[in-house]
Amino acid sequence: MRPRLVVLAWLLTDLLLFPAGYALAYFVRVGWIFSTDFPFAPYIGVAAAVAPLWLAVLVSTGIFRLTKPQQGLPNLLALLYAGIVGNALFALTYYFLNGLFFSRLLLVEALLLSTILLRAWHLIFERIGRGILARNPPAFPTLIVGVTRESGRLVALLRHTKNPLQPVAILDGKGSPEKEVEGVPVLGKLDKLEDTLRAYGITHLVQCSDIEQSLNLLSACRARGITYVLLPSVLGIVERDERTDSLEGCVVTVVAPPKKSWRSLGIGI
Amino acid sequence: MQAFILAGGFATRLWPLTEKRAKPLLPLAGRPLISHLIEKIPEHIPVIVSTNAAFFPGFQEWESTVPLNRHVRLLVETSRSDAQKMGALGALAEWITQENVQDDILLLTGDNYLGFSLTHFLSAARQGVPLLASHDIGDRGKASSFGTVLVDPAHPTSITGFEEKPKEPKTSLVSTGCSLLPKDVLPLLLAFAADHPDNVGGIFEELLRKHIPVDCFAFEQPWLDIGSFSSYLEAHRLLVGPHALLDPDATLDTSACHGSVAIGAGSKVRGSELADCIVFDHCDIENCVLRNCIIDDHCVLRGIDLDDQMIRTGTVLTRS
Repeated sequence: MRPRLVVLAWLLTDLLLFPAGYALAYFVRVGWIFSTDFPFAPYIGVAAAVAPLWLAVLVSTGIFRLTKPQQGLPNLLALLYAGIVGNALFALTYYFLNGLFFSRLLLVEALLLSTILLRAWHLIFERIGRGILARNPPAFPTLIVGVTRESGRLVALLRHTKNPLQPVAILDGKGSPEKEVEGVPVLGKLDKLEDTLRAYGITHLVQCSDIEQSLNLLSACRARGITYVLLPSVLGIVERDERTDSLEGCVVTVVAPPKKSWRSLGIGI
Repeated sequence: MQAFILAGGFATRLWPLTEKRAKPLLPLAGRPLISHLIEKIPEHIPVIVSTNAAFFPGFQEWESTVPLNRHVRLLVETSRSDAQKMGALGALAEWITQENVQDDILLLTGDNYLGFSLTHFLSAARQGVPLLASHDIGDRGKASSFGTVLVDPAHPTSITGFEEKPKEPKTSLVSTGCSLLPKDVLPLLLAFAADHPDNVGGIFEELLRKHIPVDCFAFEQPWLDIGSFSSYLEAHRLLVGPHALLDPDATLDTSACHGSVAIGAGSKVRGSELADCIVFDHCDIENCVLRNCIIDDHCVLRGIDLDDQMIRTGTVLTRS
């Protein structure tokens, strides 16, 4: 319930902030008055009408995934992309309803200000949302499989960043002398899997080792509607040069050494 | 004499097959492993099966399949997980104490397959002398995983030394999950078990330390300690041979079987290729290629190829 409410609040606030950005641009451009030459009411009305379409475009970029950090460049680009689409939709809608829009510079300012406003809000909301989702009991109790240095780093990272996926228990296929990793209890071997999934209400399972048990962990996750996550290091991919791709419609994991080439732009093989 | 079968382990190395089933209840050539063992025990000897609380229901179900002329009784440890278990020797000692056992004990390990006759084994025993069944596995490297047995070259039935899982084994003759403990040594066993409840092999070291003679029953027939995926499949190959062993309620349509294949009750295999596989009960396999796989109950596999896999019960893998 908590994650849904957080996402709902996020969507609603974004829906309000988009026309708010346009209103801000209006006052910056026109001055802190309601100009009769540049009527505010139809202007803000169109911005409000376009906002749901703009939001739909933004949703399609995957920016509202709760586990996705907001700081990165891809998220800024997603906001900019949706902003440009929203801007174009605004101009088009305004044209159909009221004729040509009165200021090209205002359009540019609306795009920039709404993007900046939303970017700032997303960064703030990320902290609020993570605080709500990560507090005990966490919204997404996560089971880590494998006691390795890689899993230790992951647990530390998830806890430090207050990621919505909060590790609550660790199991290891071959058993581990460790009693806990970064404060997360190591409960034993995989024979405790079912009990652990049930007792902790696990929503996500991250496999960090024991490749031979992938099918069985997947099976347990499918049976309980749990999201299964696999660290690439389990497959020996440790250099962060992997990506998911498609070969004639078949999803494949591709590992290619990073090169400054066309490939970095998504062009080529 | 009474037979005591140790079946209280949690078999974590064989997860997920042992998730809800004790290792001695794993099917081997169409029957639970423990049934192979029970059949070898002379009928007049009552049998105690020591298990844990987690696997007790499974043993109760199995007990109902034991022929009525066999005297089999289940003994339940209170442990429900690997961390709580009292230890094999601890369980034996508790039974001896609680029931004031004053008999010779035929001690057997529930996850071992013994190829030799227990009647021959018992007839080789001398009055009041412990007897340990030993098998030469022919590889000193592998012997480090077992208890090794040193015998007097002049008297090969006389054990001169015993080492539990030595780092550098001096011999490839290893102890198996079969021994005879005369009633005279039970007080010593109880004292040893108090400090070493999980060290079954250690009792023979202790006996030798106390200068109590221990005899060796060396045998050449097959012996299998089923503790891992590979040893389970090896036991399966040995017992099933190059055949397909189908339960009367299983169906095999337009499929090819290579090597040793066992298919359990209610399972259906269609349009598939199976090589050295054990398919448990009520599985549905269609258009698959499975090699060296063990498929637990109620699995549904369609259109997939698998090698060297143990698949947990209820797994559904269907290529869309």
